[in-house]
Amino acid sequence: MSSVIWYLYEFARKSWAENFAAAKTDSEIMETPSRFRDFPQVRKEYCIACGACTAACPAPMAIKLVRSEDSAHEEGITYPIINTRGCIRCGFCAEVCPTDPKTLLCGENHLIREEFTILPVDKMFVIDDYLCIKCKKCMKSCKVGDAISEIDNKMVIDQSKCISCGECLKTCPVKGAIKGIFISNVEEQKEIINMVVNTLEARIESEKDKIKKLEPEEIFKIDFPIDELVEKSREIIKNDELIKDTLEKITDRLKMNIITWDDEKCKNCRLCVKECPSGAITYDEEKGVQRNPKKCLKCSICYQTCPFGVAGFYVARFLLSETSMDDGVIHITLKAAQLPIRS
Amino acid sequence: MLDSLKDIIRKSSIHVCLINTGGCNGCDIEVVALLSPRYDLEQYGIYVHNNPREADVILVTGAVTEQWREKLQRIYAKAPEPKIVVAIGNCPLSGDVFNQEGSSVYAPVSDFIPVDAEISGCPPRPSEILAAILGVGPDAIAAKGRQKQ
Repeated sequence: MSSVIWYLYEFARKSWAENFAAAKTDSEIMETPSRFRDFPQVRKEYCIACGACTAACPAPMAIKLVRSEDSAHEEGITYPIINTRGCIRCGFCAEVCPTDPKTLLCGENHLIREEFTILPVDKMFVIDDYLCIKCKKCMKSCKVGDAISEIDNKMVIDQSKCISCGECLKTCPVKGAIKGIFISNVEEQKEIINMVVNTLEARIESEKDKIKKLEPEEIFKIDFPIDELVEKSREIIKNDELIKDTLEKITDRLKMNIITWDDEKCKNCRLCVKECPSGAITYDEEKGVQRNPKKCLKCSICYQTCPFGVAGFYVARFLLSETSMDDGVIHITLKAAQLPIRS
Repeated sequence: MLDSLKDIIRKSSIHVCLINTGGCNGCDIEVVALLSPRYDLEQYGIYVHNNPREADVILVTGAVTEQWREKLQRIYAKAPEPKIVVAIGNCPLSGDVFNQEGSSVYAPVSDFIPVDAEISGCPPRPSEILAAILGVGPDAIAAKGRQKQ
């Protein structure tokens, strides 16, 4: 009974009635403390479009770089936008932002590394339309708003918007469809390519006697250690990443035609002399039919023409397997071409 | 007269059902913090029952995994009208860190059930959740109740 009276007394109190009618949590509790890391603030005018924030962001759709449209007076500025539906308020973007003052501000209790700097990249990314399967994964992964777009049914990277972060290359499911090209040191790259291709060719030429005896379906294999190539490339340019990249691209794309010449089988019919497009095959009364390998284009016409099998035509392909720069191996596989011989 | 009476009752007594559709549980912990004496959700007449059949407000957390897709709709259908859905955290809005390439989450939740309010954050602060529920809850329920009639 006493408890009921007590309740009635309690309900009759003015302060209780007021609290009941206007229930509200203590405003001090509801207030966000200053140490709380809220969504990052963006100050567009400081942004240098380096893409460090997008690279540091752990959430898939939290941050994008966009570029405002050019006006008649000035160029459009690039700046990050925060998607609050994806942002996890970790503050990493503010931490890595290299500008001074910072473009992104995010709370005050996280570590901001002052010494953080970003190296300028010397790579350009292009899409090879021949290999591209138009899956648009690169488009989705692109950290910059609409840097990759589809124009005339082709995927195109807009170089003026690209920040060379390499994200598209990582997501691309086709090897070689997106290429990261070193745009500096082009001459040195040419030198390396020439050197590597010539060395590989010389290596194959040295096995000529074995190649001549190959059966039609037989495969001839050579393992070629790359340490020597790497050593020579380092003399041309001291950039291991570039050398590795170039070697990979060479072995991926190179298809070498090899022509062998078997003088013993030649009956001096001179059918090939007329057919040869570069004049590499000549006829001499004393020496018979002669082939000048330096003029040869490796077009295989002599192979297709010769009724006696003097010319042999083989195709060599290459595969780079490497554990490190110094003990990697290029696997060379060589096979007789399946071209028909004209009759 | 009857409508305004219903409004008052609906506004002052809100039953909440919390559904985690496959998140990291962080948002659920923030909701539990709301129930604690510090924030004291019940002083506003809000009760967390976790029973969809008597829920006015459905709180959805999590990024909607394969198994939750149909169950979420079933739970939504079980709640009586008027009902509102509040998506808590980034997971139901965008899938957040779970929405990676090749993952089988089906965020956003709004693809499956209509969402009335969204609270972003990973996780949102309890005060943000409270403000959102109070901001949208009572009036939305009252409005939805009238709409039905």
